[in-house]
Amino acid sequence: MMKRVIAALLILVLALFIYGNLYSTGEGKLFPKFGNVNLSERVSNKFINKNANGENGVVTYKETKDAESGSANMVTSIVVNYRSFDTLGEVTVLFVSALGVGLLLSGKSRMKFKTPPNFILKAGVRIIAGIILITGVYIFIHGHLTPGGGFPGGSMIASAVLLFYISDDEFRTKVKSFKFLEGTAGSLYLIFGLLGLTMGGYFLYNFLPTGVVGELFSAGIVPIIYIFVGLKVGSELSNLISDFLSEEGK
Amino acid sequence: MSAIGYILMIIGALFYVLGGLGLVRMPDVYNRLQAATKATTLGTFSLVLGVGIAQPVWFVKTLLIVVFLTITNPVGSSVLAKASYIYGVKPFKLSKNELDKLYKSRGDENADN
Repeated sequence: MMKRVIAALLILVLALFIYGNLYSTGEGKLFPKFGNVNLSERVSNKFINKNANGENGVVTYKETKDAESGSANMVTSIVVNYRSFDTLGEVTVLFVSALGVGLLLSGKSRMKFKTPPNFILKAGVRIIAGIILITGVYIFIHGHLTPGGGFPGGSMIASAVLLFYISDDEFRTKVKSFKFLEGTAGSLYLIFGLLGLTMGGYFLYNFLPTGVVGELFSAGIVPIIYIFVGLKVGSELSNLISDFLSEEGK
Repeated sequence: MSAIGYILMIIGALFYVLGGLGLVRMPDVYNRLQAATKATTLGTFSLVLGVGIAQPVWFVKTLLIVVFLTITNPVGSSVLAKASYIYGVKPFKLSKNELDKLYKSRGDENADN
Protein backbone atom coordinates (compact mmCIF):
# COMPACT_ATOMS: atom_id res chain seq x y z
CA MET A 1 0.00 0.00 0.00
CA MET A 2 2.74 2.41 1.01
CA LYS A 3 4.73 1.65 -2.11
CA ARG A 4 1.78 2.44 -4.30
CA VAL A 5 1.19 5.76 -2.58
CA ILE A 6 4.83 6.71 -3.03
CA ALA A 7 4.73 5.65 -6.68
CA ALA A 8 1.61 7.69 -7.28
CA LEU A 9 3.19 10.69 -5.54
CA LEU A 10 6.33 10.37 -7.66
CA ILE A 11 4.28 10.21 -10.84
CA LEU A 12 2.32 13.28 -9.75
CA VAL A 13 5.50 15.24 -8.98
CA LEU A 14 7.05 14.20 -12.28
CA ALA A 15 3.91 15.16 -14.18
CA LEU A 16 3.86 18.57 -12.48
CA PHE A 17 7.55 19.04 -13.26
CA ILE A 18 7.09 18.14 -16.93
CA TYR A 19 3.96 20.26 -17.21
CA GLY A 20 5.59 23.19 -15.49
CA ASN A 21 8.59 23.14 -17.77
CA LEU A 22 7.14 22.11 -21.13
CA TYR A 23 3.76 23.85 -21.15
CA SER A 24 4.52 27.15 -19.52
CA THR A 25 5.89 30.11 -21.42
CA GLY A 26 7.75 31.97 -18.71
CA GLU A 27 11.16 33.49 -19.25
CA GLY A 28 13.16 31.63 -16.66
CA LYS A 29 11.84 28.15 -17.48
CA LEU A 30 13.93 25.23 -18.74
CA PHE A 31 12.35 25.05 -22.21
CA PRO A 32 11.04 27.83 -24.41
CA LYS A 33 7.54 27.52 -25.84
CA PHE A 34 7.11 24.86 -28.50
CA GLY A 35 7.64 26.24 -32.00
CA ASN A 36 8.95 29.59 -30.88
CA VAL A 37 12.64 28.81 -31.29
CA ASN A 38 14.30 28.86 -34.69
CA LEU A 39 16.57 25.82 -34.26
CA SER A 40 18.16 26.25 -37.69
CA GLU A 41 19.74 29.46 -36.42
CA ARG A 42 21.02 27.77 -33.31
CA VAL A 43 22.61 24.48 -34.35
CA SER A 44 22.66 23.64 -38.03
CA ASN A 45 23.79 27.08 -39.13
CA LYS A 46 26.86 26.78 -36.97
CA PHE A 47 27.65 23.34 -38.35
CA ILE A 48 27.12 24.50 -41.95
CA ASN A 49 29.35 27.51 -41.45
CA LYS A 50 32.04 25.32 -39.85
CA ASN A 51 32.04 27.25 -36.64
CA ALA A 52 30.62 26.15 -33.34
CA ASN A 53 32.07 29.07 -31.39
CA GLY A 54 30.05 31.93 -32.93
CA GLU A 55 31.16 34.28 -35.73
CA ASN A 56 29.01 32.82 -38.51
CA GLY A 57 30.48 33.54 -41.94
CA VAL A 58 29.56 32.29 -45.41
CA VAL A 59 31.60 29.27 -46.61
CA THR A 60 32.38 29.12 -50.36
CA TYR A 61 33.44 25.87 -52.08
CA LYS A 62 37.11 25.85 -53.19
CA GLU A 63 37.65 29.37 -51.84
CA THR A 64 37.26 29.52 -48.09
CA LYS A 65 40.50 28.89 -46.27
CA ASP A 66 41.06 27.70 -42.73
CA ALA A 67 37.46 27.17 -41.76
CA GLU A 68 37.05 25.45 -38.41
CA SER A 69 36.63 21.89 -39.75
CA GLY A 70 37.42 22.51 -43.44
CA SER A 71 35.41 19.53 -44.65
CA ALA A 72 33.09 20.10 -47.60
CA ASN A 73 30.79 17.24 -46.55
CA MET A 74 28.78 18.53 -43.63
CA VAL A 75 27.85 15.10 -42.29
CA THR A 76 31.49 14.04 -42.12
CA SER A 77 32.46 17.25 -40.42
CA ILE A 78 29.86 16.58 -37.71
CA VAL A 79 30.56 12.85 -37.38
CA VAL A 80 34.37 12.95 -37.35
CA ASN A 81 35.18 16.48 -36.26
CA TYR A 82 32.58 17.56 -33.72
CA ARG A 83 31.48 14.09 -32.59
CA SER A 84 34.56 11.97 -33.11
CA PHE A 85 34.26 10.33 -29.72
CA ASP A 86 30.84 9.00 -30.73
CA THR A 87 32.39 7.52 -33.91
CA LEU A 88 35.02 5.83 -31.75
CA GLY A 89 32.16 4.31 -29.76
CA GLU A 90 30.48 3.07 -32.95
CA VAL A 91 33.70 1.44 -34.09
CA THR A 92 33.96 -0.21 -30.68
CA VAL A 93 30.38 -1.51 -30.93
CA LEU A 94 31.19 -3.07 -34.31
CA PHE A 95 34.38 -4.56 -32.88
CA VAL A 96 32.50 -6.12 -29.96
CA SER A 97 29.87 -7.64 -32.26
CA ALA A 98 32.58 -9.06 -34.55
CA LEU A 99 34.31 -10.45 -31.47
CA GLY A 100 31.10 -12.15 -30.35
CA VAL A 101 30.56 -13.73 -33.76
CA GLY A 102 34.20 -14.83 -33.82
CA LEU A 103 33.89 -16.44 -30.39
CA LEU A 104 30.69 -18.31 -31.25
CA LEU A 105 31.06 -19.27 -34.89
CA SER A 106 34.72 -19.30 -35.91
CA GLY A 107 36.12 -22.56 -37.25
CA LYS A 108 39.24 -23.88 -38.86
CA SER A 109 38.10 -25.03 -42.29
CA ARG A 110 36.07 -23.37 -45.00
CA MET A 111 32.38 -24.31 -45.17
CA LYS A 112 31.51 -26.14 -48.42
CA PHE A 113 28.27 -25.35 -50.22
CA LYS A 114 25.80 -28.12 -51.01
CA THR A 115 25.81 -27.21 -54.69
CA PRO A 116 28.94 -26.01 -56.49
CA PRO A 117 29.14 -22.25 -57.08
CA ASN A 118 27.75 -20.85 -60.28
CA PHE A 119 30.33 -20.51 -63.07
CA ILE A 120 28.74 -17.31 -64.41
CA LEU A 121 28.90 -15.79 -60.95
CA LYS A 122 32.57 -16.77 -60.67
CA ALA A 123 33.46 -15.11 -63.97
CA GLY A 124 31.41 -12.01 -63.14
CA VAL A 125 32.99 -11.64 -59.71
CA ARG A 126 36.46 -11.77 -61.21
CA ILE A 127 35.63 -8.71 -63.30
CA ILE A 128 33.58 -6.80 -60.78
CA ALA A 129 35.44 -7.29 -57.49
CA GLY A 130 38.30 -4.97 -58.40
CA ILE A 131 35.89 -2.19 -59.30
CA ILE A 132 34.03 -2.65 -56.03
CA LEU A 133 37.25 -2.56 -53.99
CA ILE A 134 38.46 0.60 -55.74
CA THR A 135 35.07 2.26 -55.23
CA GLY A 136 35.17 1.38 -51.53
CA VAL A 137 38.64 2.86 -51.11
CA TYR A 138 37.60 5.96 -53.08
CA ILE A 139 34.57 6.44 -50.87
CA PHE A 140 36.50 6.45 -47.63
CA ILE A 141 39.40 8.55 -48.95
CA HIS A 142 37.00 11.18 -50.30
CA GLY A 143 34.74 11.02 -47.25
CA HIS A 144 35.33 14.67 -46.39
CA LEU A 145 34.41 15.86 -49.91
CA THR A 146 31.57 13.68 -51.20
CA PRO A 147 28.79 11.67 -49.53
CA GLY A 148 30.16 8.55 -47.92
CA GLY A 149 32.91 7.87 -45.46
CA GLY A 150 34.55 5.15 -43.45
CA PHE A 151 31.56 2.97 -42.71
CA PRO A 152 30.07 2.82 -46.26
CA GLY A 153 33.52 2.37 -47.81
CA GLY A 154 34.42 -0.39 -45.38
CA SER A 155 31.15 -2.22 -45.99
CA MET A 156 31.77 -1.98 -49.73
CA ILE A 157 35.16 -3.66 -49.32
CA ALA A 158 33.51 -6.35 -47.22
CA SER A 159 30.88 -6.86 -49.93
CA ALA A 160 33.67 -7.59 -52.43
CA VAL A 161 35.07 -10.17 -50.00
CA LEU A 162 31.59 -11.67 -49.62
CA LEU A 163 31.32 -11.96 -53.41
CA PHE A 164 34.63 -13.85 -53.47
CA TYR A 165 33.36 -16.13 -50.72
CA ILE A 166 30.08 -17.06 -52.41
CA SER A 167 31.59 -17.45 -55.87
CA ASP A 168 34.41 -19.80 -54.86
CA ASP A 169 34.28 -22.82 -52.57
CA GLU A 170 38.01 -22.82 -51.91
CA PHE A 171 38.45 -19.11 -51.26
CA ARG A 172 39.57 -18.10 -47.79
CA THR A 173 40.86 -14.70 -46.70
CA LYS A 174 44.04 -14.30 -44.73
CA VAL A 175 42.26 -13.86 -41.42
CA LYS A 176 45.44 -13.08 -39.50
CA SER A 177 46.49 -10.21 -41.75
CA PHE A 178 42.98 -8.78 -41.62
CA LYS A 179 43.07 -8.98 -37.82
CA PHE A 180 46.44 -7.20 -37.84
CA LEU A 181 45.08 -4.46 -40.13
CA GLU A 182 42.03 -4.05 -37.95
CA GLY A 183 44.03 -3.75 -34.75
CA THR A 184 46.54 -1.34 -36.30
CA ALA A 185 43.84 0.91 -37.73
CA GLY A 186 41.94 0.97 -34.44
CA SER A 187 44.99 1.78 -32.36
CA LEU A 188 46.12 4.45 -34.85
CA TYR A 189 42.72 6.10 -34.42
CA LEU A 190 43.29 6.21 -30.68
CA ILE A 191 46.88 7.45 -31.17
CA PHE A 192 45.62 10.32 -33.34
CA GLY A 193 43.11 11.13 -30.61
CA LEU A 194 45.89 11.23 -28.03
CA LEU A 195 48.03 13.37 -30.37
CA GLY A 196 45.12 15.81 -30.46
CA LEU A 197 45.10 15.73 -26.67
CA THR A 198 48.76 16.75 -26.53
CA MET A 199 48.61 19.30 -29.37
CA GLY A 200 45.29 21.02 -28.83
CA GLY A 201 44.23 20.10 -25.35
CA TYR A 202 41.21 17.95 -26.28
CA PHE A 203 40.93 14.24 -27.06
CA LEU A 204 40.54 13.79 -30.87
CA TYR A 205 41.21 17.52 -31.44
CA ASN A 206 41.59 18.52 -35.11
CA PHE A 207 45.20 19.68 -34.85
CA LEU A 208 46.27 19.58 -38.51
CA PRO A 209 45.85 22.62 -40.84
CA THR A 210 42.38 22.52 -42.38
CA GLY A 211 43.26 24.00 -45.80
CA VAL A 212 40.84 25.10 -48.52
CA VAL A 213 37.30 23.72 -48.36
CA GLY A 214 36.76 21.19 -51.18
CA GLU A 215 40.32 20.07 -51.90
CA LEU A 216 41.60 16.55 -51.28
CA PHE A 217 44.20 17.63 -48.74
CA SER A 218 41.90 19.56 -46.48
CA ALA A 219 39.84 19.12 -43.33
CA GLY A 220 42.91 18.31 -41.21
CA ILE A 221 42.49 15.09 -39.29
CA VAL A 222 39.12 14.08 -40.85
CA PRO A 223 40.35 12.13 -43.95
CA ILE A 224 43.07 10.39 -41.93
CA ILE A 225 40.56 9.25 -39.33
CA TYR A 226 38.19 8.12 -42.06
CA ILE A 227 40.92 6.06 -43.73
CA PHE A 228 41.51 4.30 -40.41
CA VAL A 229 37.78 3.80 -39.85
CA GLY A 230 37.33 2.48 -43.41
CA LEU A 231 40.19 0.00 -43.09
CA LYS A 232 38.99 -1.13 -39.68
CA VAL A 233 35.36 -1.57 -40.71
CA GLY A 234 36.32 -3.32 -43.94
CA SER A 235 38.65 -5.82 -42.32
CA GLU A 236 36.25 -6.35 -39.42
CA LEU A 237 33.28 -7.12 -41.66
CA SER A 238 35.46 -9.37 -43.86
CA ASN A 239 36.46 -11.32 -40.78
CA LEU A 240 32.80 -11.51 -39.79
CA ILE A 241 31.97 -13.02 -43.20
CA SER A 242 34.81 -15.51 -42.98
CA ASP A 243 33.63 -16.50 -39.49
CA PHE A 244 30.11 -17.07 -40.75
CA LEU A 245 31.34 -19.23 -43.64
CA SER A 246 33.73 -21.45 -41.69
CA GLU A 247 33.14 -24.66 -39.78
CA GLU A 248 34.80 -26.86 -37.21
CA GLY A 249 36.13 -30.31 -37.84
CA LYS A 250 38.57 -32.22 -40.03
CA MET B 1 20.97 16.34 -78.94
CA SER B 2 18.70 16.61 -75.95
CA ALA B 3 15.72 15.37 -77.99
CA ILE B 4 17.49 12.02 -78.55
CA GLY B 5 18.21 11.89 -74.84
CA TYR B 6 14.56 12.45 -73.93
CA ILE B 7 13.43 9.81 -76.42
CA LEU B 8 15.87 7.33 -74.90
CA MET B 9 14.59 8.18 -71.41
CA ILE B 10 11.01 7.57 -72.53
CA ILE B 11 12.02 4.20 -74.03
CA GLY B 12 13.67 3.30 -70.72
CA ALA B 13 10.56 4.24 -68.76
CA LEU B 14 8.49 2.14 -71.18
CA PHE B 15 10.71 -0.86 -70.52
CA TYR B 16 10.22 -0.34 -66.79
CA VAL B 17 6.44 -0.29 -67.25
CA LEU B 18 6.58 -3.50 -69.30
CA GLY B 19 8.82 -5.09 -66.66
CA GLY B 20 6.38 -4.19 -63.91
CA LEU B 21 3.50 -5.58 -65.98
CA GLY B 22 5.51 -8.77 -66.54
CA LEU B 23 6.10 -9.16 -62.81
CA VAL B 24 2.32 -9.19 -62.30
CA ARG B 25 1.25 -11.15 -65.36
CA MET B 26 3.93 -13.83 -65.86
CA PRO B 27 3.12 -17.30 -64.50
CA ASP B 28 6.30 -18.47 -62.72
CA VAL B 29 9.64 -17.42 -61.26
CA TYR B 30 11.69 -17.79 -64.43
CA ASN B 31 9.36 -15.80 -66.65
CA ARG B 32 9.05 -13.09 -64.03
CA LEU B 33 12.81 -13.00 -63.63
CA GLN B 34 13.19 -12.59 -67.37
CA ALA B 35 10.71 -9.71 -67.46
CA ALA B 36 12.29 -7.95 -64.49
CA THR B 37 15.82 -8.40 -65.82
CA LYS B 38 14.85 -7.01 -69.20
CA ALA B 39 13.39 -3.98 -67.45
CA THR B 40 16.39 -3.35 -65.22
CA THR B 41 19.02 -4.02 -67.88
CA LEU B 42 17.62 -2.46 -71.04
CA GLY B 43 15.44 0.08 -69.23
CA THR B 44 18.29 1.36 -67.13
CA PHE B 45 20.59 1.32 -70.16
CA SER B 46 18.46 3.64 -72.21
CA LEU B 47 17.38 5.75 -69.23
CA VAL B 48 20.93 6.36 -68.05
CA LEU B 49 22.32 6.84 -71.55
CA GLY B 50 19.48 9.27 -72.28
CA VAL B 51 20.44 11.29 -69.21
CA GLY B 52 24.06 11.24 -70.40
CA ILE B 53 23.14 12.47 -73.88
CA ALA B 54 20.79 15.16 -72.58
CA GLN B 55 23.47 16.38 -70.16
CA PRO B 56 26.83 15.82 -71.93
CA VAL B 57 28.75 16.71 -68.75
CA TRP B 58 27.67 13.40 -67.22
CA PHE B 59 28.24 11.26 -70.32
CA VAL B 60 31.37 9.47 -69.07
CA LYS B 61 29.78 8.76 -65.71
CA THR B 62 26.66 7.32 -67.33
CA LEU B 63 28.82 5.18 -69.63
CA LEU B 64 30.57 3.78 -66.55
CA ILE B 65 27.19 3.01 -64.96
CA VAL B 66 26.11 1.19 -68.14
CA VAL B 67 29.30 -0.91 -68.14
CA PHE B 68 28.79 -1.79 -64.48
CA LEU B 69 25.17 -2.80 -65.13
CA THR B 70 26.20 -4.90 -68.14
CA ILE B 71 28.41 -6.98 -65.89
CA THR B 72 26.28 -7.23 -62.75
CA ASN B 73 22.66 -7.41 -63.78
CA PRO B 74 22.62 -10.55 -66.02
CA VAL B 75 24.93 -12.33 -63.56
CA GLY B 76 22.59 -11.59 -60.67
CA SER B 77 19.49 -12.80 -62.48
CA SER B 78 21.21 -15.95 -63.77
CA VAL B 79 22.33 -16.79 -60.24
CA LEU B 80 18.77 -16.25 -58.99
CA ALA B 81 17.38 -18.51 -61.72
CA LYS B 82 19.88 -21.27 -61.03
CA ALA B 83 19.28 -21.05 -57.29
CA SER B 84 15.53 -21.36 -57.74
CA TYR B 85 16.04 -24.34 -60.11
CA ILE B 86 18.27 -26.12 -57.62
CA TYR B 87 15.84 -25.33 -54.81
CA GLY B 88 13.19 -27.13 -56.83
CA VAL B 89 10.90 -24.48 -58.27
CA LYS B 90 8.97 -26.13 -61.12
CA PRO B 91 8.78 -24.22 -64.41
CA PHE B 92 5.31 -23.43 -65.74
CA LYS B 93 4.00 -25.78 -68.48
CA LEU B 94 7.30 -27.57 -68.99
CA SER B 95 7.36 -29.42 -72.32
CA LYS B 96 10.97 -30.65 -72.39
CA ASN B 97 13.62 -30.49 -69.71
CA GLU B 98 17.23 -30.81 -70.79
CA LEU B 99 18.72 -29.23 -67.69
CA ASP B 100 17.86 -32.12 -65.38
CA LYS B 101 19.68 -34.58 -67.62
CA LEU B 102 22.67 -32.24 -67.68
CA TYR B 103 22.87 -32.04 -63.91
CA LYS B 104 22.40 -35.79 -63.48
CA SER B 105 24.90 -36.84 -66.15
CA ARG B 106 27.65 -34.69 -64.66
CA GLY B 107 26.86 -35.86 -61.15
CA ASP B 108 26.61 -33.89 -57.95
CA GLU B 109 30.29 -33.06 -57.69
CA ASN B 110 30.78 -30.61 -60.53
CA ALA B 111 27.71 -29.41 -62.34
CA ASP B 112 29.18 -26.68 -64.43
CA ASN B 113 32.92 -26.41 -64.35
